[in-house]
Amino acid sequence: MKQFLKLTKAMFLMHVRNRTTLFWNMVFPIFLLVIYRVAFGDGQVGAVSYMDWVVPGVVVFNILAFGLLGSGTMMVEMREKGVLRRLHASPVAALPLVGSYLLVNVLIALVQCVLVLGFAVVVFGMHLTAAGVLRALPMIIVGIVTFVALGQVVSGVAPSTGMAIAVGQILNFSQMFITDMIMPIDAMPAWIQDAAPYLPAYAVAQLVRPPLLEGTFAPNLGSHLLVTAVYALGAALLAAGLFRWSPKR
Amino acid sequence: MKSMKGKDQMEEMVIRIEGLSAVYGRGARQVRALQEASLAIRRGEIFGLLGPNGAGKTTLLSCVEGIHTPAAGGVWIDGIDVRRYPRVAQRKLGIQLQQTALLDDLTVAELVEVYAALYEVYLDRAAALALLARFELQDKTRSLARRLSGGQKQRLALALAVANDPEIILLDEPTAALDPRARRAVWEIIRRLHQEGRTLVITTHSMEEAEALCGRVAIIDAGRIVACDTPARLIAALDAAPVLRTQFDIPLEQVESLPGVRMVRYSGEYLEIETTRPQETLAGLQQAAVQQGRSIADIMLRQPNLEDVFLRLTGKTLAAWKES
Ligand SMILES: Nc1ncnc2c1ncn2[C@@H]1O[C@H](COP(=O)(O)OP(=O)(O)O)[C@@H](O)[C@H]1O
Ligand SMILES: [Mg+2]
Repeated sequence: MKQFLKLTKAMFLMHVRNRTTLFWNMVFPIFLLVIYRVAFGDGQVGAVSYMDWVVPGVVVFNILAFGLLGSGTMMVEMREKGVLRRLHASPVAALPLVGSYLLVNVLIALVQCVLVLGFAVVVFGMHLTAAGVLRALPMIIVGIVTFVALGQVVSGVAPSTGMAIAVGQILNFSQMFITDMIMPIDAMPAWIQDAAPYLPAYAVAQLVRPPLLEGTFAPNLGSHLLVTAVYALGAALLAAGLFRWSPKR
Repeated sequence: MKSMKGKDQMEEMVIRIEGLSAVYGRGARQVRALQEASLAIRRGEIFGLLGPNGAGKTTLLSCVEGIHTPAAGGVWIDGIDVRRYPRVAQRKLGIQLQQTALLDDLTVAELVEVYAALYEVYLDRAAALALLARFELQDKTRSLARRLSGGQKQRLALALAVANDPEIILLDEPTAALDPRARRAVWEIIRRLHQEGRTLVITTHSMEEAEALCGRVAIIDAGRIVACDTPARLIAALDAAPVLRTQFDIPLEQVESLPGVRMVRYSGEYLEIETTRPQETLAGLQQAAVQQGRSIADIMLRQPNLEDVFLRLTGKTLAAWKES
């Protein structure tokens, strides 16, 4: 336990001291909110204000981008630089090591989502009820865990940091479009509409939006949770199988 | 009586390497990095693995460290089979890998703390500071690892290698890429760790370093251990004469006919003459130079050394050695 705490502390410090990840994790999401605000002002989308409507989208965007792009790169970098090799040569087991890494990633993603929501409420007067927040948080955590797990598959497959980012970007973009948040899913080809419910991004978006927007759980809560659980578990198993201490040569 | 003696010898041996073979890759691209290497490293010695780049030194250490699975043979640390109980074996080791990859965004003090924790050793502030002071890093405790100079980084790597107070320390090219001063500082540290009673295994491709530090040396080339003994005995076994070294362009046959000459070769731009009668050889050489209206520069006489041992054992010239 003591070892786990020391490792977690070290992983956390490395995360917050890395300027690049700090920017993408903490500054960029807020920046995105401000851009939306400046671009679209405080108009209405149907019955809700534009900010209320867009914030859940930014939160989901964070979850996807952090999971697929942010959460795996440090591991790839440590592998590339030979840090993992050194850790492998020490008697530390893989579990506390990877466990502390994942814990820190999930916590940082959570802080980031809370930060976005807090900023939206305080600065842009977003409407959020306590009940909505309480229902949204578990869904956000489910989304983070699912996408952090998927991110570890990317880092397991990618031979280098550059490749990890490229693969993560492609997944991130393609998933972003089926969340029904950038573009209405009704406007997509039929086969994409058919596939979307079985994809994790759509499920996470459907889980996160209703509590933030209306304070209620998603209508098809069970089936969306099932989809995320299948992906989270599958990704975790796959990532464990793909895990390497040294880069391939 | 006899069995007692056998047992003592067993205990003297901290690392036993037997018939160790290691490969990388498969099929046509397979590299045989190590072939049937056997070694016994004794408690309390500084043992050197000496060989050119690509000889298999890092691979051999990787097998001892439990991070490369051998294709055949095995390694025992204090009688513990590394392959079967890697984590028990690893607990006894302090290591510094060839590529010093540190968690760059941590400070020196934080790194010491984490590396010790990997071994379930928990250092308090005072202990961490005392450790760093031994490596002259006490003023750098709050510096990020990425901000250290090359020499400081290397001293930190050594401090991290002993953070778990190991009995056995494996250092892979601890002085490569260091300037002469930083190099001597690292030598001093290695000698001190030895005086503390620890066993050290270092790899190097510097003959000078092996002679200066190591009680015993294994010469390794193309994945094979070609010799293993004290530097003095390895050199004595050559039964070689002193070597006259100079910069002079002259046909080798002409030198071979000079008095006392045993062997002549070019090593880079230097002419090296192994001779039992150096003074007469030199006189002959000078005569030849005068006849050609030239003079000889940079004359040096040296005793045979490990470089000559390597040359004799592998048939490779010094120049090839230096370049590789
Ligand atoms: N990860 C690897 N993949 C493939 N070949 C490797 C790998 N590591 C080392 N080798 C090869 O194995 C041989 C021994 O390498 P190494 O043990 O690093 O030698 P040394 O440390 O003496 O320079 C070399 O031919 C090297 O190219
Ligand atoms: Mg090497």
